[in-house]
Amino acid sequence: MVGVLIQMKLAVLRHSTTDAKRALNGLGYSAGICLAVATLVLAFLDFSHPRLLMDLLAVTFALWALGWMAGPIFAGEPPLNGEHFHRQPVPRRTLATGLLAAALVAVTTAITLLAFCALVVFAARLSWVAVVVSVPAVVLLLLLVVLLSRVVTLLFRMLSKSRLGGVVTATVTAAMVSLASFSWILVIGVSLLLEYGFPPAFSTVVRALPSSWSLIAVEAAGRGDWAGTAGPLLALAVVVAALFLAWSALLGPQRMDRPVVRGSSARRAARRGPLFQGDQGAIYLKELRTWWRDPVRTQAIVMGPAFAVITALFPLIFGFTAFLPFVGAAGALMAAATCANSYGQDGTALWLTLTVPGKEKADVRARQLAWLTVFGPLTLALTLAGCLLHGDATLVPWALAATLAALGGGSGLLAWVSVTALVPGPDPHKSKNSPMDHGDVTGQSFLMFFLVTLAISPALGVAWAGHALDLPALLWASVPVALLAGVLCHVALGSAAARTLRDKGPELLHLMRSGKPAAAAEETGEEAGTSPFETMSGKHQALMWSAMAVGVLGLFPQGLVPLGIKLSGSPAKVWFLALHVPEPWQWPVIAVMVAIGLAGFWSAYLVYRAAAPSPSSPAPTASPASASSPPTSVTSSPASPGS
Amino acid sequence: MRSPTTAPALRLDGLAKTFGEKIAVDHVELTVPRGSFYGLVGPNGAGKTTALSMAVGLLRPDAGRALVDGVDVWQEPLRARRLMGVLPDGLAMPERLTGRELLTYLGQLHGLSAGEADRRADELLAVMELDGSAERTLVVDYSTGMRKKIGLATALLHAPRLLVLDEPLEAVDPVSAATIKTILKRFVGHGGSVLLSSHVMALVEELCDTVAVMARGRVVAEGPLGAVRGDRSLEETFVGLVGVTVGGGEGLSWLAS
Ligand SMILES: Nc1ncnc2c1ncn2[C@@H]1O[C@H](COP(=O)(O)OP(=O)(O)OP(=O)(O)O)[C@@H](O)[C@H]1O
Ligand SMILES: [Mg+2]
Repeated sequence: MVGVLIQMKLAVLRHSTTDAKRALNGLGYSAGICLAVATLVLAFLDFSHPRLLMDLLAVTFALWALGWMAGPIFAGEPPLNGEHFHRQPVPRRTLATGLLAAALVAVTTAITLLAFCALVVFAARLSWVAVVVSVPAVVLLLLLVVLLSRVVTLLFRMLSKSRLGGVVTATVTAAMVSLASFSWILVIGVSLLLEYGFPPAFSTVVRALPSSWSLIAVEAAGRGDWAGTAGPLLALAVVVAALFLAWSALLGPQRMDRPVVRGSSARRAARRGPLFQGDQGAIYLKELRTWWRDPVRTQAIVMGPAFAVITALFPLIFGFTAFLPFVGAAGALMAAATCANSYGQDGTALWLTLTVPGKEKADVRARQLAWLTVFGPLTLALTLAGCLLHGDATLVPWALAATLAALGGGSGLLAWVSVTALVPGPDPHKSKNSPMDHGDVTGQSFLMFFLVTLAISPALGVAWAGHALDLPALLWASVPVALLAGVLCHVALGSAAARTLRDKGPELLHLMRSGKPAAAAEETGEEAGTSPFETMSGKHQALMWSAMAVGVLGLFPQGLVPLGIKLSGSPAKVWFLALHVPEPWQWPVIAVMVAIGLAGFWSAYLVYRAAAPSPSSPAPTASPASASSPPTSVTSSPASPGS
Repeated sequence: MRSPTTAPALRLDGLAKTFGEKIAVDHVELTVPRGSFYGLVGPNGAGKTTALSMAVGLLRPDAGRALVDGVDVWQEPLRARRLMGVLPDGLAMPERLTGRELLTYLGQLHGLSAGEADRRADELLAVMELDGSAERTLVVDYSTGMRKKIGLATALLHAPRLLVLDEPLEAVDPVSAATIKTILKRFVGHGGSVLLSSHVMALVEELCDTVAVMARGRVVAEGPLGAVRGDRSLEETFVGLVGVTVGGGEGLSWLAS
């Protein structure tokens, strides 16, 4: 059973991996390996505070566990799950064992194991007995995170079938993502930690988490405290066993009913309000009904704002309030990043758009308007509330400009990304009982995040100029600039999306029907004109995404945000590198960071340009990319004898 | 200038499609005469769905043309789309609408007046038995047969001159099936044309006046029903044409023991 399931998993992966996916995975894996190595290195360091190393390791392990829990929400369900086997007469316990073994055969697991070897390093610094203890401790820890991830996925999957459950899932996810994104406090605020250590209450809480128990056991073994060694290990084993039992109980066919949402009555269905006249009005009404009735959309509505609010609440612990006015902008940014798979979510329903004459433009516009209707008032209200709570008027133009630019930029970009970087998944009626079973939108979300950030920067640049030159009028001019940039994005990118939809509609439908793009080889050469994301080779993609990551990291968190803080005159340094260097160096550091960020974006653009087949001279530029793709993209069709 | 009255309702001219190594449709030629009830049959994987998708503008062909009333589906999509009603096999719908909301929505997109759209939606829902207790059910919660029926309703809504239906009666209960057959016969009686694919030979023999048999991506026989089947039943002709022997007589001994 175990062997069969492992083979099956490998076969599924082999058949579902495309070039683009592989590149994205590659990037993810490299990032993971970096994190794992960082975790390992941590265990080698010496700290002045004796407890600090343990605290740091405990926090790091907790973050790894968090990553495992939050991952499937973006990446979709694991390739093999219980649903696939519920018609087979396999006892659940056996099935769970097999699926667990299959889950362990993964690059992510290997990377995590590497990170957890930090525990062995830690033990080696204590005594050889501790090393002996650390081996089962690492195994238990690994089992803990893998099982946690699976159980949480199943729970989320049950919850997210209802709208209320969608709210809960989204809030929990937002909290997890927000928590995880605060891990850079550790990296950048490490100087503070070195001086003061963690607050005692914080260490107590972190050490109480099951992810820290193996650490505690190893440390006790180092002291020769056998009760202290056996206790936590046993407790951990019990937790792992309980999770395993819970998982095998949950694996079977779902017994919980799916709450059914009812539509409107005959009389109300036929009524057309003045807002819903014409083509665009009709589609707009359809979209609004979908936003209201679909639990997956409920989840999306809650996710962005919840993320923003929770992210604003954390720094309050350090007495840092300057983020409050930006809560609306962050909400809009996150909402754009999580809602960019509009067509992918609707699946093959696209055929209706392709058989009704000439409604592509209305379709795109209506989707944009529906998104703005859902998130516009909400994020503007959040901005207002944040500004009021913060109470300082200096940040108001910044916050307002950022929110407006994020809304306008978001609405344009999400239309464009939803057709040019569509992520196919199962059709909605097929996944109605398993809403977590969707395509992997992680890459798409990151892309949106970068692009919307880029769309916000001109307005913030104007605000910065106004502030630097001490011209309040110029500072306030950032608001109309943001509005203008937003409207431009909305209009131009929306039109571009409609054009793509009209020209490439059948290709998009094919992509959603078969889950993979029409192989580059069978298209009639350069005329295909697919998005460069599809034709680009894996190496190029990895390069582009890394450049993009550098761009965003440099420009946004390390460049513009400290700039804003410095301008606002706040003494808070929090976790921004620029604010920790001596005063005369702060401006240069910010400038360098912004330059690094812009350079990152520029090189990403250059890579994109180089890989995109240019219409004027198709042959020379298109050939390297397409030459490298056929061997991999053809793997899909012939049945593999190995499986 | 081609006179629109003489052009066939639908003409597939050398349509071809290859998926990777697999030749799904191999230069198919089909002519659906005006006012005919045309049946397309063929074994699983013969390429029926692929050919029909290319014919209605949902899948871009590698080669060939599809002409509706002489209008090229891929050159003048806007004109061609107005002339066709389409029922694809197994595709999604705007899932979070009720049947009536869906029809009202599509009626609006097709440019029907509000009164007209409501009247047609009312009648279609009544005929397909999707009103009453199913009135407030969202399409996502429909059963397989109900999905087929709402799909048919969307194909009929804008009163096209040609219907292209991929397995229209699959999973539909006998009572609804009888109603739908009557509707389709009336549609053809009034000058409309229907092209449908099916696996049910009896259905094709009952409804269609013209048939084509597809196998391995090619049309192996086409013509009036009587001419294609001769004096045999369509089923026997089909088995003969497709060139396979009926299996199931041997093997699987473990199942019978
Ligand atoms: N998206 C696709 N990618 C690869 N191959 C495909 C794709 N769609 C169809 N095919 C292949 O093309 C061939 C024809 O498929 P098609 O669906 O047109 O058959 P069909 O005649 O409709 O069959 P059925 O009677 O079972 O509906 C099959 O061999 C199928 O495997
Ligand atoms: Mg078919």
